[in-house]
Amino acid sequence: MKSYLDLISVSAKVHRKQTRMTRLCIAVSVFLIAAIFGMADMFLQSQREQAIQSDGAWHVRLNGITQELTALIDARPETETGCRYAVTNYRLDMDYTIDGTKTVLCGFDETFFDLFPGIHLTEGNFPQKEDEALVTESVRDRLDLAAGDTVEVKTPDGALQFRISGFVEDTSDLLKGGAFGLFLDTDTYCAAFQDVTLQEDFVYYVKFVPGCRIQKTLDDIIRQLGIPKEAAGENTKLMGLLLQSRDSYILSLYLAAVILAVLVAFAGMLMILGSLNSSVSRRTEFFGMMRCLGATGRQIRQFVRREALSWCRTAVPSGLAASILTVWILCGALKAISPTYFGAMPALGISWIGLVCGCVIGLLTVLAASRTPAKKAARVSPLTAVSGNAGTVFAAKRAANTKLFHVETALGIHHAAGSKKNLLLLTASFAFGIILFLSFSTGVDFMRHALTPLRPYTPDVSIVSQNNGCDLPDTLLAELKADPDVKRVFGRSFAYDLPAVLHGKNRTAVLISYEDYQFGWAQDDLAQGSIEAVKNGEGVLLAAKDGFSAEAGDEIIIETKLGRQTVRVAGVLSYAPFDGGKDTGTLICSEQFFRRLTGENGYTILDVQLEDHSDRAAEEIEEMAAGRYLFSDQRESNREVRAVYYSFALFVYGFLAVIALIAVFNIVNSIGMSVSARMYQYGAMRAIGTSIRQLNGMIAAETFTYLACGLCTGLAAGFPLHYFLYRQIITARWGDAWSLPAAEFGIIAIVMVLSAVAAAAGPVRRIRRMSVVETIHTQ
Amino acid sequence: MNLLNVQNLCKTYGSGEVRVDALRNVSFAMDKGEFAAVIGESGSGKSTLLNCIGALDVPTSGKVYVDGLDLFSMKEEKRTIYRRRNIGFVFQSFQLVAELTVEQNIMFPLLLDYRKPEQEYLEEILEVLGLWDRRRHLPGQLSGGQQQRVAIGRALITRPKLILADEPTGNLDSKSSQDVIDLLMQASRRYQQTILMITHNQNLAASADRVMRVSDGILTDLGGNANEKLS
Repeated sequence: MKSYLDLISVSAKVHRKQTRMTRLCIAVSVFLIAAIFGMADMFLQSQREQAIQSDGAWHVRLNGITQELTALIDARPETETGCRYAVTNYRLDMDYTIDGTKTVLCGFDETFFDLFPGIHLTEGNFPQKEDEALVTESVRDRLDLAAGDTVEVKTPDGALQFRISGFVEDTSDLLKGGAFGLFLDTDTYCAAFQDVTLQEDFVYYVKFVPGCRIQKTLDDIIRQLGIPKEAAGENTKLMGLLLQSRDSYILSLYLAAVILAVLVAFAGMLMILGSLNSSVSRRTEFFGMMRCLGATGRQIRQFVRREALSWCRTAVPSGLAASILTVWILCGALKAISPTYFGAMPALGISWIGLVCGCVIGLLTVLAASRTPAKKAARVSPLTAVSGNAGTVFAAKRAANTKLFHVETALGIHHAAGSKKNLLLLTASFAFGIILFLSFSTGVDFMRHALTPLRPYTPDVSIVSQNNGCDLPDTLLAELKADPDVKRVFGRSFAYDLPAVLHGKNRTAVLISYEDYQFGWAQDDLAQGSIEAVKNGEGVLLAAKDGFSAEAGDEIIIETKLGRQTVRVAGVLSYAPFDGGKDTGTLICSEQFFRRLTGENGYTILDVQLEDHSDRAAEEIEEMAAGRYLFSDQRESNREVRAVYYSFALFVYGFLAVIALIAVFNIVNSIGMSVSARMYQYGAMRAIGTSIRQLNGMIAAETFTYLACGLCTGLAAGFPLHYFLYRQIITARWGDAWSLPAAEFGIIAIVMVLSAVAAAAGPVRRIRRMSVVETIHTQ
Repeated sequence: MNLLNVQNLCKTYGSGEVRVDALRNVSFAMDKGEFAAVIGESGSGKSTLLNCIGALDVPTSGKVYVDGLDLFSMKEEKRTIYRRRNIGFVFQSFQLVAELTVEQNIMFPLLLDYRKPEQEYLEEILEVLGLWDRRRHLPGQLSGGQQQRVAIGRALITRPKLILADEPTGNLDSKSSQDVIDLLMQASRRYQQTILMITHNQNLAASADRVMRVSDGILTDLGGNANEKLS
């Protein structure tokens, strides 16, 4: 031994078990912090990439500004990329066609493809001359064109010809509308179509340099250039993910994220503090002994620092390594389960934020917590320190109450509550399990709202009227029902844009017919009235919405081709899967009632759920629709929705499971350490006649005290926090009222009670094996 | 009649080269109300003897009868209960419960039995031990001598037939040591209790009715005229 500091390794060997638990606690805490922050970081990175692909890499959009202003903005040092963009006929309501197909006309700068990396120039080059244009791939495929060919666009003012310089991928909007796209250089576009383009359809997209304070820069631009505030818009999703958004909902999400991050950091800190606190007595005695032997305060501090660092030397890297591995596994699993949604997840990414947070919080907490025994030993006389009376475990300031409880129960409670600091730490530590669980359980609510899982009425395939009319005959329904591959088929008839009068005011309404299945599924959403009455044709169901609200019993006048008719609202639904528009009411009635009101006898859509999801069954149905009706196959998107939902569920529930496991670990460890620290006392009590059963009772009482305090504190702090987070995340967006998370609390409470029982079992076994003589003689 | 009867008691630790025979065929008996002292060098086996008699440790072989009952024929739980009702312990390091007051510590064996103490007897013990004024104090607020008196009170509260004291004065100054011995003797006389005390202090051993010496695990009875034989 060369120096007194070599005692650190000697002490670690002697107290191997205690040291191992301390290291494990530090490692788990560091892992928890690094893994959670790391996953959040990876998620943000992937979502950022996803947002760039879907919505573009631009930050700010300015509508209707002049060319001079765009040049001024482009010249600013904060601007990395700017792109002028203009569009005509994107509503497909004007007579611009290529070979008879409606065509959207766009003009943009070459930088467009940098700002919208999701849109690809698949062949050729960006137009370099005034007569050149890009067209969508569907134009190439339908008209059998190649780069260099000429395409003619018919406009209300005559035909224009352009030489094709390249082809661009079709966007989903164009495909959905069955339209072509023709893209020109901005200057060419302006020369040809400036007069027919609405002022607000000239847009300037800006991407700022990294590190730029975007909101402040945007304010400066608006103020300095006199641009109206309404003309500016932000790429909300990307800005939100860049933590630069001013959107109030995104801001409330930031707040929720900060609260959750602080909770996670605190939980980690508490685990370390709780673990180190239980060895304070032993360590105080050790430091007292060192002081007796002549160690100075400085030497003790040095010793403490080195000892803490020796714990961290192995514990922190293992926690970080475990977090990296976990992040890789989780990212890989999410990528595999849902490539569309999580495809941008880094495969073997390292989250420096997670690693730094885990390392710094772990290290600082250990250094701070490990100083306590040294301070305590320095405060009291060396003799007191060495006697153990300065520690938290054996010092008693007041007596246990043996009048109310049996002596073993009284002592158990006193062991738990005797030291305020110990009780506070363990209570906080237990309570944090509940608080974290309740707080993160809002993630489940968020998932349920943000990601619509497949509803029971989600079809695999649908046959739809080409003109939104009621021209699908009953015979087709009967034919589908007879198909053995069809599990369920249900039709709806729609009557759109019916003039309506509600409470004396003129409105519009859409009338939809339901059959028995759909009425059954709607039952869960019934807020008022009776579905039975609607099924019997005694009225309609109204889907509740702000712009068209009525109570059950109110009357609505609707005008169909059979004339004005009065219908009674027989029930109100809190949710319906259809929305006709902001002020358009959605009315649902039975098929017979629909036919009576409208005189129509067919369906607008027939939804089909298949027994097996094979292509053969779907192809058969497609053949039935061929030529006469539209056929829609939703199996792939259903699969994707399912995959996204389940991968999110895996993420959220996995996270909750980790939190529950941490609560279990914390309880087992805390109880184990608390009992270890009192082993001498238990030995002495055994010597004077305490039975093993009574010692078990004592440990059970101690455990129960921590548990009860933890549950009460967790409940008192967890519910308000859950309320706050729910309001920030859910109510602010979807308007749902908060309800007591009793089930979530029940789950974590059961987990904690079972953990406490398991936690008490370990020490009980140790006490059973304990040698009374050895225990009292080592004191 | 013998209250304590120890027959061929052996205790061996380890095996092979590290085998230690802590007790070798120790046999002796004590009458009711007898006060005996066991002396011996450190490591001679006297504490092992006391621990085996008090059923804190299990002998390798041999029998210990207390009031005719074989201690080691009982199951662990029953033996613990028998021990706390019939054998009082006084340890060198007091072994008081830090969270209980003086009064509660004295009552502790009764509390473990879910019994209420006779108030009169408790007060008598507190008076005799000179702890009446300190009865609401915690052990941490007492001197070493006072703490050992509490431990003696705890050993007396169940009116045990046998009191085992393992160097009860080991942590005390000479004045307190003599006080403790006087109290033990007083108890032996007053309550007719059999007391077996380990001590390394030959002067204190001289106060006992009978002295035994343990050397290398072998017990030698030095008889009743302790003063002569010790000198």
